[in-house]
Amino acid sequence: MRIAMLGWEFPPFISGGLGVHCFELTKALAAKGHFIDFFMPVSGKTLVSPHKNICLIETSESALRPYLVFNKKGKLATYGEGLIRAVEVYNSQAAKMVAAEHKQNPYDVIHCHDWLTAPGGAHARHLILRPLVQTFHSCEFDRTSTPWDAIVRIERQAAADADLIIAVSNRMRKQLKTHLGADEKKMRVVYNGVDADKYRASAVDAPYSKPALSVQTDGKHVVLFLGRLTEQKGPVQFLHAAKKVLEKRQDVLFFIAGTGELMPLLINLSMELGLGEHVRFLGYLSDADQKRIYRAADVYIMPSTSEPFGITALEALASGTPIIVSKTSGVSEVVKSALRVDFWDIHGMAQKIISVLQFAPLRKSMAEGAPADLKHLTWEQVANHTYGVYDEAVRSFKQNK
Amino acid sequence: MKVCFYFQVHQPMRLAPFSIFAPEGGEQASLFERYFDHSLNKQILQKVANKCYLPTNSLLLDALEKNPDLHLAFSITGVFLEQARMYMPEVVDSFAALAKTGRVEFLSETYYHSLSSLFTEQTEFEEQVNLHKAAIAPFCAKPTVFRNTESMFSNDIAHWAERLGYVGIMTEGLDQMLGWRSPTYTYKVRGSDKIRALLRHYKLSDDIGYRFSQKSWNEWPLTAEKYANWLAATPGDCVNLFMDYETFGEHHWEDTGIFSFLKQLFPEISKHRHLEYATPSQVAQQVGPRGEVDAPSVISWADNERDTSAWLGNDMQRAAFGELTSLEKPLKELGDADLLRTWRHLQNSDHLYYCCTKSLSDQDVHNYFSPYESPFDSFINYMNVIQDLKAQVKRREKR
Repeated sequence: MRIAMLGWEFPPFISGGLGVHCFELTKALAAKGHFIDFFMPVSGKTLVSPHKNICLIETSESALRPYLVFNKKGKLATYGEGLIRAVEVYNSQAAKMVAAEHKQNPYDVIHCHDWLTAPGGAHARHLILRPLVQTFHSCEFDRTSTPWDAIVRIERQAAADADLIIAVSNRMRKQLKTHLGADEKKMRVVYNGVDADKYRASAVDAPYSKPALSVQTDGKHVVLFLGRLTEQKGPVQFLHAAKKVLEKRQDVLFFIAGTGELMPLLINLSMELGLGEHVRFLGYLSDADQKRIYRAADVYIMPSTSEPFGITALEALASGTPIIVSKTSGVSEVVKSALRVDFWDIHGMAQKIISVLQFAPLRKSMAEGAPADLKHLTWEQVANHTYGVYDEAVRSFKQNK
Repeated sequence: MKVCFYFQVHQPMRLAPFSIFAPEGGEQASLFERYFDHSLNKQILQKVANKCYLPTNSLLLDALEKNPDLHLAFSITGVFLEQARMYMPEVVDSFAALAKTGRVEFLSETYYHSLSSLFTEQTEFEEQVNLHKAAIAPFCAKPTVFRNTESMFSNDIAHWAERLGYVGIMTEGLDQMLGWRSPTYTYKVRGSDKIRALLRHYKLSDDIGYRFSQKSWNEWPLTAEKYANWLAATPGDCVNLFMDYETFGEHHWEDTGIFSFLKQLFPEISKHRHLEYATPSQVAQQVGPRGEVDAPSVISWADNERDTSAWLGNDMQRAAFGELTSLEKPLKELGDADLLRTWRHLQNSDHLYYCCTKSLSDQDVHNYFSPYESPFDSFINYMNVIQDLKAQVKRREKR
């Protein structure tokens, strides 16, 4: 099958789960013998295709800023200035280029990711008369507590235009129905995956060894938060839970990895709560550092108030670290070897953190359950299920013609 | 051939969600009140009583009147009776009415539905068996057949039961133990002389207990006539049909036809002249043994493995069980009745069962019965309660 995929991020030009998903999905599809032309904004970096069946096509002359940018004060902003304009430029270019490529070598299906590339997909669908599959990795209501009307409008239109919609969880599917009025009959759930080998302790490491970190842990236990510092990720709840944990035991450190708009607030809050030296802000971590921190942690917690999926939880799980995830996350629907919490239940969260630190048999039993979870959550499975959706879209498109 | 029906009656005493941050509630607060979710337990007992215990007891009482040759047996845990007395005494009365017919036998087991038979010393095990005898005394003066928690059985357990004067002991008709032999005979047990092993016919028992309402089963729908014919065609001296009493009305709801099946079953069985009803003690005393069974390690009727792995299969379960058993000595030295009773209620095997992490088909059964979201949540709650009890014991020791 030939797929025109409209994406926004691709390594090394990446700022979130969307880029990881596109990279791993295209690789897994290519490995199955499919051909993918990946249309993306000009990155300003040298791009290397990970597979001969994947062709990376940069669409615009004008260089775009990445999805996440810093504003003039050095503060991280969720959206770059002029983002909407940049998206418009990308989409109109992408649609034309898809049509031009299609003339040379026809596509079977168009696949878009999130609102960023949706208008181009819809336009291309009109130009080349091929079915459109739209994946929602998140929607505006998950990303911010003050949704942008312009983006919500694009999302609503994207849900209406697509022949089939892929939601990354049941939770996402319900959100799309509620917030965007997406048609239940058009939606399919395909959960994300993880390349577990990437995170497993490598052969050179001694078993159960903790990797050296530049931050001193002084033999204390490490509880890890890793994600954008926005309200939806629940870092505030994380700090409140930290305070509760410290009431019961002092030998615990709380690491916050990531940056975001809430950073100043969180620093203030940790001082107000008197957490002092027990909380460490690590900033944005490189891929290599992320892998080390997952393994160095004694427990990973994802207290998101709203999380369409939550790939980081799978990465931590693959690293052999016990995970605690909020019930309001997609990943909590599929992972059995996790502890689940309500994001508002600070006592429950703290009690679970303490229990994981205190009871070795619990950690061991959770670790024993992880392989069974990870077996089902591979990118190969994601590619299989996604292909299933393409196939369905192509068949029903032909029937309806 | 003897047809022996025995029903197991039990409801666990479920734990309350325990918070390590909660205030301790003062010196006088009873641990028993704090640790268990009494309102949930009451609610479940009442629900199951209305769906199962009361209607089935009344159906059986009626059947005993109409079928003068009918004999039945029950094993009722102390934990069940304790809850029934607290929340719904009419359930106890309805069992008493069955006992009064003189044709219903009651079996002996541990009061707390516990794994105390696996303790290194047998003191606690015997104490719990004696507590149970006292609890069922209104129904039965002296039980003569023993059934261990979840049919856990071994040569040692059988030998212990023989020493205490039991004539029979119930367990699973396990293929691995029987080999080519059939569960439709009685057997001696290796290392014992007088006691007889009564083996559950798991196929015929599970036809009612599990498969009755399964529409995918090729024998569905199961009629009383068909089932009685199967019994009649079964070769052997006795057929032991052991099942959870909750089979009737709870595992299979009324709309599956389970009650009319049960009602019609007795007259259908009576049509076959070579079939006669017997209680477990009658089977043990009247059916001569055809060989010897050997169970060097403990077997049970649970899961596919039919061993103790449903309760002690993973590290969490073994850790919790270990912590609990290590409390026996200090706790008994304290002589605090509330503490002792609470500790014993914590021994209820169900608490461990909820911590089971077996995957796939078995896990589904565990999930069905568990009040927890996951075995990990169950362990956290259970272990935190045990830790609290341990701290309470320590504190009282200091005084």
